[in-house]
Amino acid sequence: MSRQEILEKLRSLMARTGPGKTDWAKVSEADAIAALGIDSLAMLDFLYDIQQEFGIELDPRDLVSVTTVGQMVSFIGERKGA
Amino acid sequence: MKRVQHLLEYAVVRVLLFLVDLLPLRACVALAHGIGDLFYLLHRPRRRTAMENLLAAGEARDERDARRLTRAVFHQFSHLVVTSVKSDSWFQKYPPESCVTWKLPPELAAILDDPKQGLILACGHLGSWEIGAQLLSHRKPVVGITRRMNNPYVDRLMVSRKPRGRFELTPKRDANLLRLAGALKDGKVLAIMIDQNAKDRGMLVDFFGRPASSHTAIALLHLLTKTPLCFGACIEVAPMRFEFRASGPFRFAPTGDKAADVRKILEHLNRELENAVRLTPDQYMWGHRRWRLTPKQLAANAP
Repeated sequence: MSRQEILEKLRSLMARTGPGKTDWAKVSEADAIAALGIDSLAMLDFLYDIQQEFGIELDPRDLVSVTTVGQMVSFIGERKGA
Repeated sequence: MKRVQHLLEYAVVRVLLFLVDLLPLRACVALAHGIGDLFYLLHRPRRRTAMENLLAAGEARDERDARRLTRAVFHQFSHLVVTSVKSDSWFQKYPPESCVTWKLPPELAAILDDPKQGLILACGHLGSWEIGAQLLSHRKPVVGITRRMNNPYVDRLMVSRKPRGRFELTPKRDANLLRLAGALKDGKVLAIMIDQNAKDRGMLVDFFGRPASSHTAIALLHLLTKTPLCFGACIEVAPMRFEFRASGPFRFAPTGDKAADVRKILEHLNRELENAVRLTPDQYMWGHRRWRLTPKQLAANAP
């Protein structure tokens, strides 16, 4: 799965979990997750969806240092490749 | 004006803390009783809320019974505050193990005594929750989330009085749930109050037969980390004598239907709390607005 495909899927998942006012189609890898209005509670919601969508096991503890969308894309990419 | 009010409240709290430190336990219990009566008389809205909640939950037979129970609840709450303050010096004099009886299923006791195993503890505003966390921390380190008080002077004072050691408290506004999940990896107990009104961010789950907005974080943390879940409450059976009653461990597997998974866990935990409250209704904080719905929730629930 390419980075672009992961990003596309993340955008649609974030649109489901995140606040309504954000234009999710414009979200780029450089965007900070917190700046998109996704706090740690929304992040847990989001992680459940990522787990189901990508078929990977995620431990929230491993994601403390993930702060941008790009880092999340890399993280999922690594897990999918692993 | 607000600053003057805060400073006045701070002065009253300082005097009370001085008295609690100075007086023997029996006198502190009497003092708490008196403060409870005073609040019962003066705090009409809270008294009303408690009575309404007791009647709606079916825990009071009629208005008279609700009044009697509400008064007991006010006594209990001020007793809880006074004993929580007193507990630090008390446990220095009397070993905590001598003040508590553990009522735990064997599998849960084994988890508590395994230093590598994390545990998510669901608790509520029942019994002596602060002392419970303190007692539990002697078996396993505990991490909890706390709300800051409106009065910053009193808040700083009370934080400085909270017991340290193996019981860490994280202010709610600084609580990063991902970071808190790290505590589970370190073999700690993550204690979460399940009966706080989550307003629009929560899921409506029945509690005593009425929908109440419940935070979903506890369920999501369990589903994601697969850390065992339990329910617990620390009940005071005599002054400074406690029974820590817990059930579990509970384990739920994610099915792919997030809303259904979260609901199943929250319903289970709310039922556990409800059953525990029924055993000692006078030790539950009935005065909080557990069932108050937001306009958005009311509209969604309208027939």
